Amino acid sequence: MNYFFNKNGPLISTYLLISIGFWIVFLIVIPQLYMLDLSFRPNIPPLLRGGPDDVYTLVHYKHFLFGSETSGESYNYVDIGVFLDTILTAILITLINLCFCYPIAFYIAKVASPNTARLLIVSLIIPFWINELLRSFALRILFAGEGFINNVLIKLGVIDTGINFIAMDVALYTGLNYAYILLMIFPLYNAIETLDKNQLEAAEDLGSSMIRTHFRIVIPHAKAGIASGCTMVFMLTAGALATPVVLSSPNTFWFTQLIYQWFNMNDNWPRGAAYSIVLLSVSVVFVLLMMRIFKVKIGEIVR
Amino acid sequence: MKSQQALNILLGIYIFIFFAYLFGPLVIMSITAFNSAEFPSVTPWECFSLRWFNEGKIAYDGQHLAGLATDWRLHEGLITSLQIGLGVVLLSVPIGLSAALVLTQVHSRFRTAFYSISIMPVLFPGVIIGISTVVLWDRIATMGGGGFATELGRNGIFLTILAQTCFISTYCFLIFVARLQRFDQTQEEAALDLGASQTQVFFKILIPYLMPAIASSCVIAFLASFENYNTTVFSILSDQTLTTVIASKVRLGISPAISALALVIILITLAVTITYEILRRREDKKKKKLAAEALFAQTQDSRLLRNGKSTSTIPKSIFVIIFIIIICIFGFNKLVEKGLYGSVCIATKEQEKQSNFAEQLKLLQNNAEVAGQTSSENGEADEKKEYDDIFGDPNLFKNFGGFDAKEEEEQGTSD
Repeated sequence: MNYFFNKNGPLISTYLLISIGFWIVFLIVIPQLYMLDLSFRPNIPPLLRGGPDDVYTLVHYKHFLFGSETSGESYNYVDIGVFLDTILTAILITLINLCFCYPIAFYIAKVASPNTARLLIVSLIIPFWINELLRSFALRILFAGEGFINNVLIKLGVIDTGINFIAMDVALYTGLNYAYILLMIFPLYNAIETLDKNQLEAAEDLGSSMIRTHFRIVIPHAKAGIASGCTMVFMLTAGALATPVVLSSPNTFWFTQLIYQWFNMNDNWPRGAAYSIVLLSVSVVFVLLMMRIFKVKIGEIVR
Repeated sequence: MKSQQALNILLGIYIFIFFAYLFGPLVIMSITAFNSAEFPSVTPWECFSLRWFNEGKIAYDGQHLAGLATDWRLHEGLITSLQIGLGVVLLSVPIGLSAALVLTQVHSRFRTAFYSISIMPVLFPGVIIGISTVVLWDRIATMGGGGFATELGRNGIFLTILAQTCFISTYCFLIFVARLQRFDQTQEEAALDLGASQTQVFFKILIPYLMPAIASSCVIAFLASFENYNTTVFSILSDQTLTTVIASKVRLGISPAISALALVIILITLAVTITYEILRRREDKKKKKLAAEALFAQTQDSRLLRNGKSTSTIPKSIFVIIFIIIICIFGFNKLVEKGLYGSVCIATKEQEKQSNFAEQLKLLQNNAEVAGQTSSENGEADEKKEYDDIFGDPNLFKNFGGFDAKEEEEQGTSD
C-alpha cells in the first residue's frame, strides 16, 4: 500500500482508489448483492418493509418452478417453457452464427489482400453502430404481413397469400441472428489473423485436404476466438430485449420479456429479481462451461 | 487448380450473400423513408416524398403520424440521450483509466481476480444491470426519507448514467489496457530520475501517451450509451431516451418516420466512418513518406527518393462520388417529370384512396340493404333496423377522419 502511494503520488493515488472503489463496490458488487437479497423477500408494500412479515422466503423461485398455488398443474410449464425455449434458441443461434461467420472471418484474415480486408472490416462496423432497435425495425419491414418479402414472393407467383413470418417466429430468429453476428466475426477474425500463413502452406504441401487443414490447424488455433465469440453471442441473445420487443409474435415470449413484465406491469419487483437471478446464473454457468470446454481463461473471452 | 478456382468463386458468392444480408435490410428501410405511404413499404410505391423527414401526415383515423422535424417526443428523448451520454463519458472514461492503471501495478497474485471483476459487467445481461441499479436506488430513496437521496434515487437520468457506467467502464478499461501494454516504463523512470514528481509524470507523460486511447474510449462510451436499450429501459423510470421513444413507437405501430430517423443515423455513421478512414489513410501515407525520407537520409541512395508525382493523382473514390451525384440528379429529374414527386402526387393518391373507400362504403350499404330485405322477408324487422342504423348514419364515418365535404355529398346522393 505504501509502495502504491509512493509510486503514484498522493493526488493520483486518491483518484485511482476512489474511482475504482466507486465502480467495483457501488456499481458492480452492491447492486447485484442487493438484488440477490431482494429475490428472497416477499412482495410487500414499502411501508411493511423491515416489519415482521419481511422474512426470507423461497416463494419466487417456487413460483418459477411450480407455478402459483392456485393453479392445478404440478409444474409452472409456461415459465419453464419460455426459459428453456430462450436458452435453447440462444444456443442454436450461437451455433448458426459460428458456422455462418467462420468462412467470412477466415477470408478476411487470411485470403483477402490487406486493402480489401480493411474495406470489409470497415463495412462490417457500419451496421454495427446502428441501433439494435432500428436494425430489428428494418427486418420488421421485410417480414411484415404486407412487407417486402411477401410482396416479392406474391409477385413472383411463388405463393398466393402472404406468409405470417412474425407469428412463425422466423422474424424473431432472423433478427437475433442478425443483431449479434458481428460479435462473432471480430473475435474469430482476431484469432485467425494471428495464425502464421506458413502453417497453412505447409499443410497444403504435405497433402492435407482443405477441410482437414481447417479442423486440425485453423480451428485449434482460433479456439480462444471461438470461445469468446460464442460466449458473447450467447449472452447477448439470451439477454436480448430490444429485438424480441420489435419482432416477437404476440404469443411468443422471451425470458427477458417475462422479467420486464414482472417488473413494470405486474409491479412484483422481488419476483422480477428472482427471475433475473435465474438468468444470471445461467449466464455464469455458460461462461464457466465455455472456459472448461475450450480450456481458456476468462481474460481470453473478453477482449 | 480448377477446383481451387471454383472454390474461390463459391467463396465470392458467399461473401456477396453475406454482405447483402447485412446491408439489404438497412437499404430497404432507407428507401421506405421516401415512400409517402403510411406503412413503411417499398412495393406498393405511392409517391416519392420527404414528408416523413418534416411534417408527417394525419391519418384517416385522426391519428397524427409525426414526421421527424415535428416529433417533440423524439426531440426530448434525443436531448435526454445526449445528457446521459455526456454523463457516462465523464464517469466511465476516468474509471476505465484508473482501473487499467491499477491493473499494471497490482501484485500478480491478485491480478487475475481484479481483471475478472473488472470485465464481469460485460458478461452480465444488460437487463440485469438495469434492474439491480433500480432496485438498490429505490431502497436508498426510501431510506433517504424525502431528502436529497430520495430525489437522486428517483431520477431516471441519474440512475441510467450509473447503470450504463457500470458496463461501459469495462469497454474503456479494455481499450486502456490494450494501449498500456505497449507503454515503455523506462520513460516514467527517466522522468522520475530527472526530478519530476509522480503527479507531473502522470500529467506530462502518461496522459499524452494515452491520448489516442482516451479519445477512442470517449467515442465508444458515448456511442454505447447512446444506442443502449436493455439497461436503459429499466433504469430510466418515467423519463424517455431516444431509444425508449423509438421502442414505444415501434410497439404501438410502425411509421416511416422511424425509417427516416434510421436513415439519418446511418448517414451520420457513414460520414463519421469515411472521415475517420480518410484521416487514417492520410496518416499512413505521411508515416510512409517520413520513413522513406529517413531511410534516404541514412543511406543517401538516390533510388529511394521518389518523385513528387504521387501527390498529384486524383483519388479513385472521386469518380464514385461523381457517379452517385449524377445518378441522383438524373433520378430526381425523372421523378419530377413523371409527376411522382411532391404534393401533387400525394393529393391524387389520397383522392384515389378516398374514392376507393367511398366505393367500399357503397358496397357495404348495398349489402346491408340486401341483407335487410332478405331478413325482413323472413319477418325479422328488428334486424333490418339495426343494419340501417349502422350503415345509414352519415355521421359514422365523418368522425373517422379523412372524409371531406365531397364524400358527404356522394353519400347523400347515394342514399
